[in-house]
Amino acid sequence: MNSTYDIPDSTDWLKTSLSAFEPLEAALRCQVCKDFYDTPMITTCSHTFCSLCIRRCLASDGKCPICRSSDQADKLRKNGAVQEIVDSFQAARPAALKLAREDVALREEHGAPKRMLKRKLDDTDLEEAEEQRPKQSRRTRSQNRVQDSSPPRLEVIDLDEDYEDDNGLVKCPVCNIRMKEESIWSHLDKCDGQSKPSSGRNSRSRSTPSVTNLLQRTPEKEPASALARLPQLNYSLLKENALRKKLQDLGIPALGSKQLLIKRHVEWGNLWNSNCDSARPRTKRELLKDLDTWERSQGGGAPNPAAVVMKKDFDGNGWATSNKSQFDELIANARRKRTPVEKVEMKEDAVDKMETTAAETREFYDNSNLHNDLRRPSEGNEDALSIIREKADQANLDGLTSRSIVNLASRANAHVNTVDEDVFLDAPRDEFIGNSLDSPLHN
Amino acid sequence: MASSSASKRLFKEYRGLASDPPEGIAAGPVTEDDMFLWEALIQGPEGTPFEGGIFPAELKFPKDYPLAPPSMRFLCDMWHPNVYPNGTVCISILHPPGDDPHQYEQASERWSPIQSVEKILISVMSMLAEPNDESPANVDAARMWRERRKEYERIVRENVKKGLGL
Ligand SMILES: [Zn+2]
Ligand SMILES: [Zn+2]
Ligand SMILES: [Zn+2]
Repeated sequence: MNSTYDIPDSTDWLKTSLSAFEPLEAALRCQVCKDFYDTPMITTCSHTFCSLCIRRCLASDGKCPICRSSDQADKLRKNGAVQEIVDSFQAARPAALKLAREDVALREEHGAPKRMLKRKLDDTDLEEAEEQRPKQSRRTRSQNRVQDSSPPRLEVIDLDEDYEDDNGLVKCPVCNIRMKEESIWSHLDKCDGQSKPSSGRNSRSRSTPSVTNLLQRTPEKEPASALARLPQLNYSLLKENALRKKLQDLGIPALGSKQLLIKRHVEWGNLWNSNCDSARPRTKRELLKDLDTWERSQGGGAPNPAAVVMKKDFDGNGWATSNKSQFDELIANARRKRTPVEKVEMKEDAVDKMETTAAETREFYDNSNLHNDLRRPSEGNEDALSIIREKADQANLDGLTSRSIVNLASRANAHVNTVDEDVFLDAPRDEFIGNSLDSPLHN
Repeated sequence: MASSSASKRLFKEYRGLASDPPEGIAAGPVTEDDMFLWEALIQGPEGTPFEGGIFPAELKFPKDYPLAPPSMRFLCDMWHPNVYPNGTVCISILHPPGDDPHQYEQASERWSPIQSVEKILISVMSMLAEPNDESPANVDAARMWRERRKEYERIVRENVKKGLGL
């Protein structure tokens, strides 16, 4: 298990003093994988995705996932600016989040902030930004909610002495000119920020040199030996054996049906070519590991149940202790009434067949010693689970309803998990919900 | 074992839904051992005969998610033009473009890798409020909804009660 299960999420900002960072972070994430852009590429239709994500999408249906325009992988271009923004944001994120969280804690201890003008200023800026922003499809629910449901917004940036008034004057945050407090609102409407900055603290004068420095310090370096991208093949024109030979030449497993060879070659092309795009290309051995992961989930080793099952120690009860909402109560009632359903074993011959198909391919990856440095699934999963528990506990403390999800998880476990379709259809319906006469929803 | 990109993405959605749940919706994997089978609860929209009901459903995700959409099935009696008698939901967001029985529907309403569990569940909630009877999954329910609305609403309300164990 790699560390990706400890997932930072844009919603981490919601209950901090920097809730406006939630949409910022959401904008730095790929809409396909929901992760920070990794090797962002821009399409012909000017949409940006991770290289691997868009390559997989285009290999699958040849269309941009956002606007559905047709596009081709060889027309993708790097979006270096976005990469740089993401890198810088990620580097700044932990410290910024820590400060923003501490800030809220501090304010809660010491009551409301004293400088009301600062509050107003900040809120107005945000509202205006909000209105000016073109309507975007990626605006999330939480973004829309920022204004009404977030705790009082507390600023970090304008707490320095720059904003201290001087003879009753306040400084325009854009151009730094001092003026009477009552005139600042009308001034802000017109301010173009062009007036001479009086100190280096103006955000524009500050940011310009640092961006330049950044560019000078980290010029985009091409990999020492530019890697050659793999061309697409016309699989319908290739005989199975010729294709098998191609896979052998590429040094990837050449076993399985033609269908599987094609799927594997496509995925290898996605992995290989996105690695060519990357400013930090990885070794072929690492790419083979990724291909192995793909093989286990979608390729020749695919639906082996053992590969999916990790560890059965999930404690649903711990989450169910503090049910308050009607929603939760309903679920809890259902849980009490549940009747265990026997697990339906997978048909044995089906499993056998899958395992034989997988076995030889598996041999290839195993012989490549790709996994010597990886822990077993169950070991890694414990970490993941404890992180989730911690976060959900936190969410519960904050009065969110995430526990209902877990309740339903444990409730549903008894019914749905491995039940065969046909068994399912005949199952008595009321079993799923149970008797909830004492539910507050009963009225 | 490194996790597949599908399970990573599902985990992220789970994480997001847990820390910022939409109103009236709860969803998550049945067990955290298997990100590919979720259960969801949807609250009946207010002002509709579904009001007051809590409707459990399961979502099954393909291994190449989000390239392909999940399937969704209600685990309770659901009398609705767009729900098959076995509970399977039939709405455009659950169909990739080109694979949509609803030919008239715009591609933008259909599945794409940028859609999400949250968007599906919100679509289903609004489907409960506003059935689409042009290519119904349940022909009888669609006809009843069109021609005998009172009777349709009575059945829905009965199902709501039954679902609550009354
Ligand atoms: Zn991505
Ligand atoms: Zn596009
Ligand atoms: Zn100014």
